[in-house]
Amino acid sequence: MTVDQLVYAYVANEEYYPDKTVVIEEGSKGDWVYLVLEGQLKVRKSTNKGNVTVYTLKEGDILGEMLLLEPGKGVRTASVIAEGPVRLGVLDTAQLARDYDSISPQLKGLIRSLIQRLEETTDKVCDLALEAT
Amino acid sequence: MVANGKEKMPPIVSLKYKRGELVIKEGDYGISIYKIVKGKVRIFNESGGREIPLATLGRGEIIGEMTFLNRGEEQRTASARALEDSELEVWHPSTLKKEYEEMPPVVKYIVNQALQRLVRMNQLVAQFTAKRQRIIEKAKHVKPGTPQRFYYRKELDQECIYRPVNSSKELRLGGRVKDISLNGVGLEVRSKNALNFSHEAGDTFYVTMMLPTNKKLTFKAKIQSVKMDRTLGKIMMGMQFEEIDGENRKTLGFFMRS
Repeated sequence: MTVDQLVYAYVANEEYYPDKTVVIEEGSKGDWVYLVLEGQLKVRKSTNKGNVTVYTLKEGDILGEMLLLEPGKGVRTASVIAEGPVRLGVLDTAQLARDYDSISPQLKGLIRSLIQRLEETTDKVCDLALEAT
Repeated sequence: MVANGKEKMPPIVSLKYKRGELVIKEGDYGISIYKIVKGKVRIFNESGGREIPLATLGRGEIIGEMTFLNRGEEQRTASARALEDSELEVWHPSTLKKEYEEMPPVVKYIVNQALQRLVRMNQLVAQFTAKRQRIIEKAKHVKPGTPQRFYYRKELDQECIYRPVNSSKELRLGGRVKDISLNGVGLEVRSKNALNFSHEAGDTFYVTMMLPTNKKLTFKAKIQSVKMDRTLGKIMMGMQFEEIDGENRKTLGFFMRS
């Protein structure tokens, strides 16, 4: 069994979105974690100087992972927009939370640090990208 | 499924670093994880002998987690240096490693993706910063107060005659125009021309030249930059137009578009 199949096992529901749908809006609240089953989406961050597309998500990619690892934060850090029609799997958040809770505080500390670093670095990339244009 | 990790951890070791000391060197092999107890630490990449800062971390923050989480990758992806006298707690990863292996696969899957994204973002930061530093370096080489010619330039090699603005109208010095834009020209002359007349930044010349289209072009231009080539006995001057009348501007415009 591949990791992917293990992750598919967490899909509680499937959702379909047409091209250009804003699946997640930056700054909004929401606790769903998605797995891309089909199609592509772009992750966009808005800054006071403009919007930056930070990366493209493809099949097998997770979106909303920051929420899982920073539970209770609840605010989306980027917008996610469908590029063409997409099929998303909604992960079983309760099961995910239980899994995450089974980890030791130190390992959690590492993961939190990683997620935080990712957020900060992504912001930095946005600033630099806008500066360079 | 996992017992309290704290109980399983070997005794915690603390290390002290003086301001400026290196904690981790990029490219080195190492698996320890550090937690900052006191002080500040800068994380940076090295590129062309330069330090490209990635982050500054303070108390409670963790260093070295990337090497740990990046399975099979034991080389440090960034360096760390103490910005002030600092104290770091060192965690030996052996216990954590076992725990990591036993982590629920879905969590591991998500952590892995976050890790890959972070590696990618760090690369982008390094690229952008290196690019910006190159631009800053370049700007430093330009003499202060000498505006650059930003316009599109055409390379050419045309004879011209010129004279300093305050000289006699009969004076004719020879040179070659090596490039031209809507904003100015690059003029190359023999160094001996500079023996009797000043050829320095700020000096202004009248210039008359023939374009490759056989049209005559006359203008007044000011020297912005001077480059001497002693071995060849030549001076290359970057000049910006000061006065160019409507007719000549039109001729130039046509030529630049051709």
